[in-house]
Amino acid sequence: MPDCSSIDPLITPFIDGDIGAADRRLVDAHIRACAPCYSRVAAEQAVRDLLHTRRASLTAGSASAALRHRCAALGSPSVQGSRPGVTTTKWRGRMTPLALTATLVIVVGGAFVYVSTDRSTRLLAAELTADHVKCFGVMNTLLGTSADGVAIESAMASTFGWQMHMPETTGAPGLELVGARPCLYAKGRVAHLMYRHNGHPVSVFMIPNMARPGVPGIRDEVVDVMGHEATAWSSGGRTFVVVAREPEADVAQVVSFVQASLK
Amino acid sequence: MRKLRGEAADPSRASSFETDGLAFLDSLYRTALRLTRQPADAEDLVQETYLKAFRSADRFEPGTNLRAWLFTILHNTARNRARDRARDTITVDSEAVERAEVSSAATPGDTPETLLLRDMLAPELQAAVDALPEAFREAVWLRDVEEFSYAEIAAMLSIPVGTVMSRISRGRRLLFDRLQHLRPAHA
Repeated sequence: MPDCSSIDPLITPFIDGDIGAADRRLVDAHIRACAPCYSRVAAEQAVRDLLHTRRASLTAGSASAALRHRCAALGSPSVQGSRPGVTTTKWRGRMTPLALTATLVIVVGGAFVYVSTDRSTRLLAAELTADHVKCFGVMNTLLGTSADGVAIESAMASTFGWQMHMPETTGAPGLELVGARPCLYAKGRVAHLMYRHNGHPVSVFMIPNMARPGVPGIRDEVVDVMGHEATAWSSGGRTFVVVAREPEADVAQVVSFVQASLK
Repeated sequence: MRKLRGEAADPSRASSFETDGLAFLDSLYRTALRLTRQPADAEDLVQETYLKAFRSADRFEPGTNLRAWLFTILHNTARNRARDRARDTITVDSEAVERAEVSSAATPGDTPETLLLRDMLAPELQAAVDALPEAFREAVWLRDVEEFSYAEIAAMLSIPVGTVMSRISRGRRLLFDRLQHLRPAHA
């Protein structure tokens, strides 16, 4: 009779019925004579049978309609426009509140070359939102970041040749600078500034040399993606995207502050 | 199906690819939930999976298993997330358990089949599955609930088929141990 160690790798396929006839006979003969191996087969078989019996219950749950819509909306731009009830992109004009007057970021110049594609704003927003989540959830934990505005300006200038000014954020209630890093999106050719607004992560992305098509009289394109709200607009030959997961009014407040700072 | 490499883009094929892919959303979500154990994390994971799938659609070979391809992306994304977050406790735990001897749970006179099938309710079974170390949880789930083949699971998890079988085996026995411990509550 073969020893237990030679039978061991055959037990699971034996239980799953994924084994040749010769090996099946071998295992069959072994477990008739070997109590420990029989016990093991019985236990494994019991769990397998239980899972199969309860499979309908275990797979009864389904994804939410909201998740389904969000995933569907991640499809190609050609499909988005024709899928009713899915596209949630909405255009709306926003008046800049004059209460938030402090300057956040002033881009003086840019030396990037962003490779423009035919990607929709939704896809751009989705990729930047993924980057937003990763940077706040992962990169900062692993690499840390500096909230020193001067250090950020220096890093942007030395790394990208970007001359930028990072003023204080005291003009925006509840807004706190977290740090900045090259964005994972577009191979690091996009600047990613990270803030917290009332404790919630907020990202400001700046994409140089890319002006998105606009609608006369309307400035912001707002996209609900991956549970976040992404607001995109172009100014001075650059595209800016603010990503946040806050009530709409709070996001609008932050966006207004950023836009005011760019004047 | 999605266009072949080098083939001209075809919007109707792209639409079909997306429709076909979205048909697996529920099973992807359930598996994501087993991996993350948090609904919000599971939703994020599924969305990132679809985002990557749609972006990489031209890499999908028509005629191959779209469901397995999506599950592969899901697991790769989950693995990368776990690695990125440096939350290695689960992985270390899995490896430690994988090396450890699995105790014999059966005791003389017990009939585990009858016992488990008679008493165990789906929510308790679900909780016991969720409590398994990650490596075993995903192997058992993919095999016994999602019913993938050993080879498909091996491709998804980038591990040898032998390791897949080993993880399924140990996962089932660990699950059996856990379920046995729940038995008094039902007796």
